[in-house]
Amino acid sequence: MSLAILLVAAAVVGLAIIFRLAAARSLQLRRQNPPAVICPVDLEAFRNLMDPREDRYLRRHLRARQFRSVRRERLRAAAAYVRVVAGNASVLVQVGQAAIAAGDPRLSGAAHELVNSALLLRRNTTVALARIYFAIAWPYSEFAAAPVADRYERLSGAAMLLGRLQNPAAPVRLLAQG
Amino acid sequence: MLQAHSFLWHYLWLAPHILQVGLAIFIWRRGLHRVFPVFFSYLIFEAAEEFTLYALDLSPSVSGETFWRVFFVGLVVEGLLKIAVIGELFAKLLKPWPAIAKIGGRLITGMGAALVLVATIAAALVSPDNTHVLISGSHILQQTFYIVESGLLIFLFGFVAYFKLNWTQQTFGVALGIGLLCCEHLATWAVMASGAMLDQRHLLDLLNMATYHLCVLIWFYYLLLPQKAATKSAVLPAENNLEIWNRELERLLQQ
Repeated sequence: MSLAILLVAAAVVGLAIIFRLAAARSLQLRRQNPPAVICPVDLEAFRNLMDPREDRYLRRHLRARQFRSVRRERLRAAAAYVRVVAGNASVLVQVGQAAIAAGDPRLSGAAHELVNSALLLRRNTTVALARIYFAIAWPYSEFAAAPVADRYERLSGAAMLLGRLQNPAAPVRLLAQG
Repeated sequence: MLQAHSFLWHYLWLAPHILQVGLAIFIWRRGLHRVFPVFFSYLIFEAAEEFTLYALDLSPSVSGETFWRVFFVGLVVEGLLKIAVIGELFAKLLKPWPAIAKIGGRLITGMGAALVLVATIAAALVSPDNTHVLISGSHILQQTFYIVESGLLIFLFGFVAYFKLNWTQQTFGVALGIGLLCCEHLATWAVMASGAMLDQRHLLDLLNMATYHLCVLIWFYYLLLPQKAATKSAVLPAENNLEIWNRELERLLQQ
């Protein structure tokens, strides 16, 4: 009987999730041109946070306890960057899909490339975040989130191409001025 | 009214499947059977299965044993077809995006394997609610299939939401209908398999049939209405800063 109660509860939760996502989709269809919010990312600062040479330098010059504390702070900052990158990738997926749906053959190729790059980046940010959280738990572990920065730079190229095709007079900015 | 063999009971058993046949005809005429071949097969099989079961249920010459044998076989084919429909939806959503197609395929395969394991454990934990093996076995098998199907559908919805993929109206309609069906049926079959509500089984049957009716109407609505396009802005947010534009472009060109 307790198994039945558990399964009924799981079914109710499942229904709630499906209805919530269905309602979200319905709202998205009804909403008129919501502004896409892209937060520029300072890639240099992000790269610095991810630089293993910086970590090695800190490890040599700080006491173990101090190093753990500093590294955790740096990793938390890196996680915040990765979350912003993931958010931007999501916005670009939506923008690219909307451009494809608009049916303009001039934009289709660039939009497809943008969506694929953004999806790849979104996937990579998930892995990068997992690695960062792992490193927060074990500050001495080695990890690399640098591919996220490289992928983001490539994505900005795809976004700029689509932006230029859509509106040649208005540049698109994904990277922070710095 | 809420009894077995009442008018409502007959209506709810037959009407959704008559509508389903109508839906299959519309799908064929609109050429959608080429877009959703597995779903189309499912609609036809499900309607044929339910008409057969209805006739067997009413026919006095058919034994209970025969009815449950046919029910069991139909249940296995129907369950496999529904899992194939979920696979079809997933393939439709991922096909245009090679960047996540591979990982998506691996994740849903892994999820399917995990769900089969969970469903098997859940089946092993259930004590049979009927002395007849075919009846209790059918109830447990229903529960097993619905655990796997509901889990896969929730994963599908979650995956699409996580990656902000766009549903087409038709894909969304099929997924919504089958998602609602699987989650509600999971709850009722779990109750039935546990042996609870023995005196009120007809109520659970009516609930299942009413839910199926609703799902067929959902499929009608989403598959046959003209497709709405997403109105989300197709234009990238622009910033009139030519200096940044030029610098970033130069940097990319130099790579």
